[in-house]
Amino acid sequence: MIEHDVVCPFCGCLCDDLEIETEGGRIVKVQNGCALAESTFMNDVRLPAPIRRTETGWEDISYQEAIKETAEILQGADRPLLYGWSSTHGEAQSVGVHIAELIGAVIDNTSTVCHGPSILAIQEVGHPGCTLGQVKNRADVIIYWGCNPVEAHPRHMSRYTTYATGFFVPDAQRERTVIVVDTRRTDTAGIADEFVQIEHGGDYAVLSALRAIVRGKASVIPAKVAGVSKEQLIRIAEICKTAKFGAIFFGLGLTMSRGKYKNIRNAIELTDELNRYTKFVISPLRGHGNVYGSNEVFTWMTGYPFAVDFARGIAFYNPGETTAVDILRRGECDAALIVASDPGANFPRAAAAHLAKIPTIVIDPHVNATTALSRIHIPCTAAGIDAAGTAYRMDGVPIRLKKVIDRGYPDDAEILKKIYDHLNGGKGP
Amino acid sequence: MKFVLNTGRTVPQGTSVEHKGSDTYRTVASAGFLNPIDMMLLGIEDGDRIRLTTPAGHIVLTSRPAEGVVRGEVFVAIGPYANHIISSETHGTGMPDFKSQSVDVEPTGEPVKSVGELMEAIGGLRF
Repeated sequence: MIEHDVVCPFCGCLCDDLEIETEGGRIVKVQNGCALAESTFMNDVRLPAPIRRTETGWEDISYQEAIKETAEILQGADRPLLYGWSSTHGEAQSVGVHIAELIGAVIDNTSTVCHGPSILAIQEVGHPGCTLGQVKNRADVIIYWGCNPVEAHPRHMSRYTTYATGFFVPDAQRERTVIVVDTRRTDTAGIADEFVQIEHGGDYAVLSALRAIVRGKASVIPAKVAGVSKEQLIRIAEICKTAKFGAIFFGLGLTMSRGKYKNIRNAIELTDELNRYTKFVISPLRGHGNVYGSNEVFTWMTGYPFAVDFARGIAFYNPGETTAVDILRRGECDAALIVASDPGANFPRAAAAHLAKIPTIVIDPHVNATTALSRIHIPCTAAGIDAAGTAYRMDGVPIRLKKVIDRGYPDDAEILKKIYDHLNGGKGP
Repeated sequence: MKFVLNTGRTVPQGTSVEHKGSDTYRTVASAGFLNPIDMMLLGIEDGDRIRLTTPAGHIVLTSRPAEGVVRGEVFVAIGPYANHIISSETHGTGMPDFKSQSVDVEPTGEPVKSVGELMEAIGGLRF
């Protein structure tokens, strides 16, 4: 059987044009997807049953036992941390927020180590963005800054920018100018019309220089800024000012390097300057399939997009204090529930190490690095493969993930509801 | 020699990210990409082991040449190998220095550890 218009849940592009062929309850072919999509659907090896760590190894336990023990661990904790959420659907994320509120936990999502700084900047100066459909149909200048979509979002260029035929951009390859700004000459840089190679940590200075040039103050710019020549900066400013519609996409090259959220603030303010001449937009390239959804769900329910602390009985938000890496680094939490993510692999060692010192429960379809640090691992469905649900694309458009096959696992939202029931004397969220 | 550790996504890292116990993941996540001139100065060739040291610890990687990597930088796919030596300091933002960790790089004959060994080094137990 062939299922059409399947959504790939891997990255923030949420490509919704995949064709998946199934045979006897197994996925046998993926069409239209990139290498990441093919691996997501075809190499989906799961943990067969819930496991618990013993003195010497691991033992299988029942779902009922795993859920009961998880609830008891969370109930007995003074400072529980609920972390992850970005590779599952909004339905599970919302139950997670209910649990956090009920037990006074800190709940954080993976944007804390990807585009958290972008959110901090947006909270300072706003977000002049638009949907990817607008970019596809209108943008004649594309800037990829500190990101490498060829590797991280392989179909972004073919679906929305460089190679995508748009309503007002019928001959995309000829009519779109692509500028790539990076410290490395990446594969994305290799197909750019203009590659701007900047020195490490030079993003803020280059953004400031571009702002000055756009404002007509090129005379104050030195011959080189962070390794970029003044001539190239003036050329780029001119390309941007004369664009019909420009779009900046930025990645972790801005959020993780020196300056962090101040880099993004400067990029947004450059976009603001450019809007005095033409239409320009800016948006982050979001990584996990539903990381944007975790920001949406957290914000609707608590008022804050990540790093929400319910210890006071109300939602409190202070990145740097209530963010997962900081709480783990300080050895502050005494229990952790990790859902749909792998901080064991993706957090600095000192932060990940604390997970092994406290009772940590993982709810995730796959065995990952955090499994080794956990006390209990409960396998569940994978959103978009054997569970339907809502996810948000990187431009904030909600897309319904489809259930393609049934593998007999419980949905993580159902597991979380049962944990909530245990914590709340049988009354669901 | 002093370098800046830069991390990021790659397609091979993404396709094996749900198989962290596999040899494929170990190979792609433990590769340290260096400019060929820096490799020459270090006296190493493609496939030789390098030891990266920071105040947070040290890790052994397999060196790979990459023309696109600038002099003075070592690029490693995001994951447990790079994170083994990245500081957990976030400067009040929640975000560690995943792209700007200063590291010392030297040739070594030590072997590359598996992800399971890295997790066991911090109190975990492989499943």
